[in-house]
Order: sequence, then structure tokens, then C-alpha cells
Amino acid sequence: MANRVVLCIGTKKGLFVAEAPKARRRFTLRGPFGEGVSVYSALIDTRGTPQLYASSCNAYWGMKVLRSTDLGKKFKETKSAPAFPKDDGRALANIWSIEAGKDKKELLCGVEPAALFRSRDGGDSWEMVPGISNHAHARQWHPGNGGLCMHTILRDGNRVHLGISTGGHYLSEDGGETFTAANKGIGAGFLPNPYVEFGQCVHKIARHPDAPDRLYMQNHGGFPEHPGVGVLRSDDNGHTWTSISKGLPSDFGFPILVHPQDADTIYVVPLTPMTRTCPDSSPAVWRSENGGSSWKRLAKGLPKKDSYFTVLRDAMDIDELGSPSLYFGTTTGQLWMGREGGEQWECLFDSLPPINCVKVAVV
Amino acid sequence: MTERVPSITVLVPGLLRDCCAGRPEVDLHATNMRELLLDMERNYPRLHRNICDETGAVRRHVNLFVNTHNMRDCEGMETPLAPGDTVTVLPAVSGG
Repeated sequence: MANRVVLCIGTKKGLFVAEAPKARRRFTLRGPFGEGVSVYSALIDTRGTPQLYASSCNAYWGMKVLRSTDLGKKFKETKSAPAFPKDDGRALANIWSIEAGKDKKELLCGVEPAALFRSRDGGDSWEMVPGISNHAHARQWHPGNGGLCMHTILRDGNRVHLGISTGGHYLSEDGGETFTAANKGIGAGFLPNPYVEFGQCVHKIARHPDAPDRLYMQNHGGFPEHPGVGVLRSDDNGHTWTSISKGLPSDFGFPILVHPQDADTIYVVPLTPMTRTCPDSSPAVWRSENGGSSWKRLAKGLPKKDSYFTVLRDAMDIDELGSPSLYFGTTTGQLWMGREGGEQWECLFDSLPPINCVKVAVV
Repeated sequence: MTERVPSITVLVPGLLRDCCAGRPEVDLHATNMRELLLDMERNYPRLHRNICDETGAVRRHVNLFVNTHNMRDCEGMETPLAPGDTVTVLPAVSGG
């Protein structure tokens, strides 16, 4: 029976694992694993015996994938990490997403420069997925501020949604064999014509299994000339998108989440585009309970002023308990937990290294 | 009769010794750095993967010294090697 809450916290200085009983009163922390090396992505794979995965972005010795089979008490490198074919000409710069694949030992991995890799043996060997990695657009994508990264992988049966910065949203409807750019309505405010076929700076995409046709997106917003391009919704599997930014203090931000039991409830962290910190230096998560028609500010327990951090695209997650808690990590090394779906916030750890990603699971 | 390819000693930093059964040095055969890295890939693929990316280029923050000279300051991959030379693998300096 699942009775522990486990958090993977990917930081600039390695991976930390926090664990607590289901009541989430006190978390214990272990790590850093892969010490001194930045971790941009993690996965808590709860198919069968839980396994924890994390990327380890070693500036010296290249990319590694770390795996733990004992809930994060120790980690070992898998036998290999994704790598481009020798004659491809590209070299792996980072791993931005690790997701569970279709079969039990299958993993999917989004990397920089933007490409998709698949492992069929739990991360010991990897193959490039050519349908997107060698897509006709692939050599025309450009890096955003964080690099040219594939950061979002969402599976829904034979559909696969990918988020690429800066490339846009790509959709496969044949299990990942072929992909098409599906960006109608997604603005690229940094281009003379913002409504292009591809090349948007998508920050994160989210979905809920109960509403498979629907997707939510945090896009690169914050353009006064193009208000509302930042937070979007699709009701047709990502073929077309419309703005749901009205009511937010800023449409710029990075993460977007869906409530585990309610496909209409979503969360974003609006940021001021120039500083990429919360408006008025007062952090808040914003929640919509009607699919983006209206928004409410959630800030009880968070600093009221003088707070200047960024919450990065993968640095927020939500557990799947009856009254779920949200978790977000900051670039200033704080890990916050928002009980009751973000109604009441408390700081779990206040002096970690800068946080890149946060993943949670109940195991 | 073919000429014997010279033996080069490669000094492996502590962090990478698990890629070569814990040894602090390995012997490879090459007449230049390109051949040395190819021989490394054949005999110590994990060590090679840490030093070179998948295009075959030496990783940006890794320095390879031929005796006391950084190969980047010599002839790069074409830097010649002679019998008895030592190649030292070192991470680049970091910090302030």
C-alpha cells in the first residue's frame, strides 16, 4: 500500500530525495547524489517496484542517467546515456525530461539539442526516435535562453505530445513514428509574425487523463504587443490553442500543472517577464478551477515582499493524495509545499542549491 | 615487417578510474592523438565516452596534456606522439 511521499529535487549541485509519511508533517532529506553536478530532470517511476531516475548534466564528463532501486538511498549510473549516432553531427548537451514509456521498462527522454530518445531496458541502452529527432524542422529550431531543449513528453495512447523550446508543440498520432507541428494559436511574440507554423518558445504543457483531448500550455508570454499568448488551452488534442491568460497578473511563467483529481483545476506561477520573478516581489501560485476562465491567487504562508526567485519549468509538481499538496522549488534554493491544493504554504527546506526540477510520487 | 606502434601511457584522473577497472593509468598505442582516442574507444569505451562526445570531439571542459603541453595548444588531434610519451587527462579549471 502506498504510504510514503517521495520527492526528487534536482538542483545545480546534484539530486536530493525527500521523504515523508502520507501526512507530510516532516520530510527527511538525503543527497546530494551525483554531487556537484546539475540535475535538470527526474522521474519517479511507479510502474511496479518504484525506481527513481535523474539526469546528471556533467559539464566535464558528459551526460549520465542515474537510477535508484531503493527509493533514493543510493543511485548508480545506468550502463549508458542517450547519445546521437556518430555520423549525426549533434552532441548531447543536456537531458531535460525523463518520462515513463508505453511498456514497463520503456523510458522516454527529451534532450538538448532537441531530440527524443527511447530506452526499452530501464535506461541501460538508448535509441534515438527519428520521427522527431530528424524531423524536417529539427535543424531550423533555435535555442531559447535555457538551450534548445525538449522538455515536455506527454503520452495518451497512440498520441504523443512534445514541447520544444524553441520549436513549439509537436504531435504524433501514430505512437511516435511521425510528428507534425501543431501550433495554431500559439504566439511567438519575439517574431515579426508571431503565428508561425513552428518555432514557438513553449515552456511547459500539461494534461489530465480524464480529459485527454484537452491540453494546457505555459508559453513564452510577457509581450505587451501580443497580450495573452502566454497561457493557453487546447480542446482538440493540441491542433488549435486559445488564450486563458485573462485574470493573471502576467502571462509569463514556466510551469503549469493540472490537479490530479480535477481536469478543470490548473496551476501556474506568473512571473514578471524582465526579472522572471513574481510580480511585486511577492510570490504566489495562481489557480483556476474552471479550466482557465478565472484565476485565484494562492499565497498564504509565502513571503509577502522582498522575494526574488524564479520557479523553473519543471520545478513544480503536485502529489496524488486526496487533498493534494503542491511543491515548488526556487532558483534561490527553497522548497515550498502548498497543502490543500496550494491553500496553505510552508517552506520544507530553505537552503538547498538552486532548484531545477521537482517531482513527487506517493509510493 | 610493420613498424611497431608506440606505447603511450595515459594517466586517468580519480573520477574516471571506474571506467578502467580502477587503474590510475592505461597503455594505448598510437602515433598521434586521433589514433590514441580511437584506441581508447576500442579498449576503454566508457573512458572514451567521458572524454569525447559522440562526434568524437574532446569535451569542452576536458584537457588532454601530451607530457606538459595541452593538445589544444599543439596540433590538436594531429599532435604527434612518440614512444614513452605520457598523456594526462584533466578536468579544466573551474571556480574563481
